[in-house]
Amino acid sequence: MSMTELYSLLPMITLTSVILVLMMVIAFARNLALTCGLSAGGLLLTLVSVFWVNHDLSAGFVTPLLVVDAYALMFSALIVSGSFFITLIAYGYKVQRGELQDEFFLLLLLATLGGITLAHSTHFASFVLGLELLGISLYAMISYPNQGLFSLEAALKYLILSAVSSAIMLFGIALVYAVLGSLSFTEIASNVYQDTGFDRLFILVGSGMILAGISFKLSLVPFHMWTPDVYEGAPAPVTAFLATVSKGGIFAVLLRFFTTVDSYQYETIISGLFWIALLSILVGNILALMQTSIKRMLAYSSIAQIGYLMVAFIAASEIGGKQLAIEASAFFLIAYFLTTIGAFGVVTIMSIDSTDHDQDGLDKYEGLFWHRPLLAGFFSTMMLSLAGIPLTAGFIGKFYIIAAGVKSELWILLAVVVIGSGIGLFYYLRVIFTMTKQSESNEVNVSATGGWAMAAVTLLLVILGVYPAPVIEWVSAVAKALV
Amino acid sequence: MLELGLFYTSATVALVATVFAVTRYNVAHALIYLIISLLASAVIFYLVGAPFAAILEILIYAGAIMVLFVFVIMMLNLGSPGDGVEHQWLQPGMWIFPSILCLVLLAEIVYMLSSGDRMLQGKMIGPKQVGIDLFGPYVLAVEIASMLLLAGLVGAYHLGRKYLIDAREES
Repeated sequence: MSMTELYSLLPMITLTSVILVLMMVIAFARNLALTCGLSAGGLLLTLVSVFWVNHDLSAGFVTPLLVVDAYALMFSALIVSGSFFITLIAYGYKVQRGELQDEFFLLLLLATLGGITLAHSTHFASFVLGLELLGISLYAMISYPNQGLFSLEAALKYLILSAVSSAIMLFGIALVYAVLGSLSFTEIASNVYQDTGFDRLFILVGSGMILAGISFKLSLVPFHMWTPDVYEGAPAPVTAFLATVSKGGIFAVLLRFFTTVDSYQYETIISGLFWIALLSILVGNILALMQTSIKRMLAYSSIAQIGYLMVAFIAASEIGGKQLAIEASAFFLIAYFLTTIGAFGVVTIMSIDSTDHDQDGLDKYEGLFWHRPLLAGFFSTMMLSLAGIPLTAGFIGKFYIIAAGVKSELWILLAVVVIGSGIGLFYYLRVIFTMTKQSESNEVNVSATGGWAMAAVTLLLVILGVYPAPVIEWVSAVAKALV
Repeated sequence: MLELGLFYTSATVALVATVFAVTRYNVAHALIYLIISLLASAVIFYLVGAPFAAILEILIYAGAIMVLFVFVIMMLNLGSPGDGVEHQWLQPGMWIFPSILCLVLLAEIVYMLSSGDRMLQGKMIGPKQVGIDLFGPYVLAVEIASMLLLAGLVGAYHLGRKYLIDAREES
């Protein structure tokens, strides 16, 4: 490997060295403040190095496995900043849970490294490795709490179902490889094969199986069964991570695979995607309606949100609308990251003192506006953004999705998006109404780092909603480079 | 054509053994079938021209990991009730079918070795080629895999430690 190649891998190298340093520090001194500070600092350093590399970028392959381009760096920046905020929010939560919490941050960094690998990967080998790195760290993070069979149950469910979906995906990869003889995305795109008979069948079934595996990880209907249970059982900061960083990394690789290989040319796959998106939006929103647990409600709402994202993903199948669709999905994902981290961040802060089970019952949030107005304000902003109310990033994101859908003329899906948003309004606003009710005070100790991190997330969300121009410029430059 | 026959034979053995591994009620019996399934896939690897992968399959899966399994099962059955369980495992008769499957594989290997290099298609990839590739274009895969192992190690350490502490408090 040459120096320039090493230089363009700077973010990954930085993060890896932070992981190694952190491991040594934990081995010698267990101090949660130090561990958390080091991880947050390391993630900031990684973020700086992402922008550093992005500044004078010479896009290109680094070994056949990874590619460093504006697209990979944008998703890396998103993943690293997501992990940064989750680290800060998790600190106060972890302090209250006694000893042996240091490894949590080590696992968080390792999972982030897996996410960055996914964003860079352009080869099935690095794809599977990144996915497993993310997955294995997540199993341990979900089952992290020392007491509580609840989280163990969630981890076991995630482990088994995730392993099955990985197996299905590997089978699909093997079928594609059997026809095309390569695992690299660019070679799969350029290798010719006879588009008839068995070869075509193999490619179609293989792509379908890969898509099924990825849909599981993105928790799209009909592969969503695990989502509410795992989201409910996992500790709140881990749920935030599971809903954002893990899905963002996988979506990055899915979009890259489809645009490089041009799987959009297959009618069957497009119609499969159509049903997946349609069902995700409807089922997610309808099941979220009657939930009394905030975590379960957010789980179903995240199914619906990723369904909206898939609308933009399908819109990229039209050649004319491709750039706008990629732009839309990237912007929507940024807004989704901020909102979801913010929403689970509030649940994390509310649950700081309850060490056996997170505070996720809707009734626990009654009267929050009177006892903790600022926290309730943050939560309301997140709910409004999820519902797509103007002045929040969620509005711009949804607007973008609809614009992309209109350009590619996906009328049925657009109608479903509108219906879904209408249903969504009900349960998002219900949370806000619950918080305005009068009730007895229940004390919440807000940790300083968590509070500041929440303030920063909310501020970013509003800034993105009011003045999105710089981010839109960035996102459209990335989309232009990718098309 | 003959190679294709060899392939289908070992594939059938692998399938049958896997079905038996999944449907056995007895863990030890299931393990034996699992080992046979792994051996059969090793034969398939050899057939498609990957002798190195075949050897790794036997060394790591059928060898090291299976021995670990057996150790765990043995340690879970300490004391005299364990003897009864072990006696039940070693009932005469249960070894006949696994041995037949193994004999089929053995016959295949003996045949392949006696009649020179037999493989389906393509070229033979030896250990040297694998090594050159792993430390050439795929060096980053090795690095990422090392991080993957680190994640597994840290996770297993944390989860295992929980039970160590519980056990210490009890005693």
